[in-house]
Amino acid sequence: MLTVRQVSRRYGETVALEGLSLEVPADTYMSLLGASGSGKTTLLRLIAGFEEPDAGQIALDGTRLDGKPPHQRDIGFVFQNFALFPHLSVAQNVAFGLRYRAANPLTDNEEIRARSEAALELVGLKGFGHRGIGAISGGQRQRVALARTLVCEPRIVLLDEPLGALDANLRARMCDELKAIRERLGVSFLHVTGSETEALTMGDRVAVLSGGRIVQADAPERLFAEPANAQAARHLNAWNIFDAGLCAGGGAGQLGVRFDQIDISAPGQAPGAHLRLPARFLAGEFNGPTALSFFRAADGSLLQVTDHLSQPRLPDLVEGQDYDLHFAPQTARQFPGAAR
Amino acid sequence: MTALSTDSPMPTETSPAQLRERKDRRRAWLLLSPGLLWMALFMVLPMCMVVYVSFWTQTTFSVNSTLTTASWERFLGSATYLHAIGTTLRVWAIVLAATLIVGYPVALYIGLFVRNKTLQTALLVACVIPFWTSFLIRVIAWRPMLGTEGAINTILMKLGLIHEPLTFLLFSEFSVLVGMTQIYCVFMVGPVTFMIGRIDPSVIEAARDLGASFGTIFRRIILPLSLPGVMVGAIFVSVMVLGEFATAASLSGRKVNLLGNIIVSQVGSLKWAFAAVAGVVLTLIITAVIALALRIVDLRKEM
Repeated sequence: MLTVRQVSRRYGETVALEGLSLEVPADTYMSLLGASGSGKTTLLRLIAGFEEPDAGQIALDGTRLDGKPPHQRDIGFVFQNFALFPHLSVAQNVAFGLRYRAANPLTDNEEIRARSEAALELVGLKGFGHRGIGAISGGQRQRVALARTLVCEPRIVLLDEPLGALDANLRARMCDELKAIRERLGVSFLHVTGSETEALTMGDRVAVLSGGRIVQADAPERLFAEPANAQAARHLNAWNIFDAGLCAGGGAGQLGVRFDQIDISAPGQAPGAHLRLPARFLAGEFNGPTALSFFRAADGSLLQVTDHLSQPRLPDLVEGQDYDLHFAPQTARQFPGAAR
Repeated sequence: MTALSTDSPMPTETSPAQLRERKDRRRAWLLLSPGLLWMALFMVLPMCMVVYVSFWTQTTFSVNSTLTTASWERFLGSATYLHAIGTTLRVWAIVLAATLIVGYPVALYIGLFVRNKTLQTALLVACVIPFWTSFLIRVIAWRPMLGTEGAINTILMKLGLIHEPLTFLLFSEFSVLVGMTQIYCVFMVGPVTFMIGRIDPSVIEAARDLGASFGTIFRRIILPLSLPGVMVGAIFVSVMVLGEFATAASLSGRKVNLLGNIIVSQVGSLKWAFAAVAGVVLTLIITAVIALALRIVDLRKEM
């Protein structure tokens, strides 16, 4: 189990992480969701040892990691840009760790070859060993980077936006494969991403990083359905968050309502039991299976409503016209504090 | 039933694509021609001339175009001149090794440990500062440093480490080596720094993450990736050192005779044919050295 406790990291005046705590249980696929610049990569670099925290502790299975140089931490790091060794072949890249690590390197060439080949086979690159790094595609490089890390049998694998450099099709396929590979090896993965879909798809658990700390860590279904606070909800890209005062009887603080749980009616036509707020229809956006409609509320905040093509429930909307948005009170989540 | 026909009559006029290709080719030639012209007039032609002149007949004060191998026989039959080839090769090898030993750590520091680009440039410019003064001053400045009453001897005597001034410091092969290393070091530092600076920092981090110590990373990642820079630097240094005469002339006290010095003195005494022989030999040596360097590292592949 990886434990990060009260870790802070500053770059001059900029605070990247502020008292962040996180636990990655053993044998878990954990995804870490955060906007760009939220300090996701910084956290991984602190765990891997490329940088040291200003305060706090990092421990793996009870042994303290901070203060140890990276090559003694036994942690696997898959870089966003893959960081393959450009002058070595695929097989030599994969064998690098086995052959040249400071702690008990392998010397038996036959064993190194066998283990490298097994790792390449695991990521679906059997027979690619002799190729040069320049002679394989982006997706294959990603797999080589993964094989190179996994062959050393690290105690935890950190993946820094590993699918960011791949195209959409390949990304979907790698998602499934990463999960399968992890399950076969039984090692924990900590996968950093800025995409909420990727985080929810991949993770057995999803942690949301915002403002330099983890604002929620939960199972993906629970995180999606019941975000604990406004920051977590905002990262899911599925929740409208607005000042509760906009709705008559909405109470204080902020309300969060999912895009797909808001209905629309002409002003004054909403069912009595529902909470309602008036808003002006701005524009619609069609993106395949779903259609998005954008509304502007009285205080200027932007609201989105999702409609599914197969089960349309929205009336025909006219741009610039006022409507009542309404929702069942139990679908809304109440968050403390004022709207941003 | 009408079959869909895909063949239409071949167009007789040139297609726009062909016109464009022709235009591109014309532009390429246009870009290439000044260089080609320059090389032909000022390199290939003179080279041919030098080879030609080396077979001319040399009399005491004049040279005429009757072809003979006399100059070549005299050059290859003389121990002095063959010895000069040996000296030139020895000085070249030692200076090359010295610039590498002195220059590589500097380049490693600037390229790897200074990650601020502005500071990197500033440090590289600092390496070039000696070049703001003339070549001769840089060379002659070594005399008050290395002389029998120079700075080094004075300090060593004051410290009581020696009782008599060291005489091998100046007007010897040693002073030539020191002077050349100082002058040509920067030509090694530049290309190596450039190659090391191009190494993606995450590649080095990846190697650390895989468990390699710094020594291993240097041997297995940094050194191989910087080799093209070493090779370019080595070619720079070689070309300049092999053709050198000025450093040897002013720091060796005429004790060290390089091929370059022979050419200078023969030209000075109007022995054109003989100077041409030395020139051809020197060119052959430089060509061989560069060919060897390019065999070791395939620059086209690495850059």
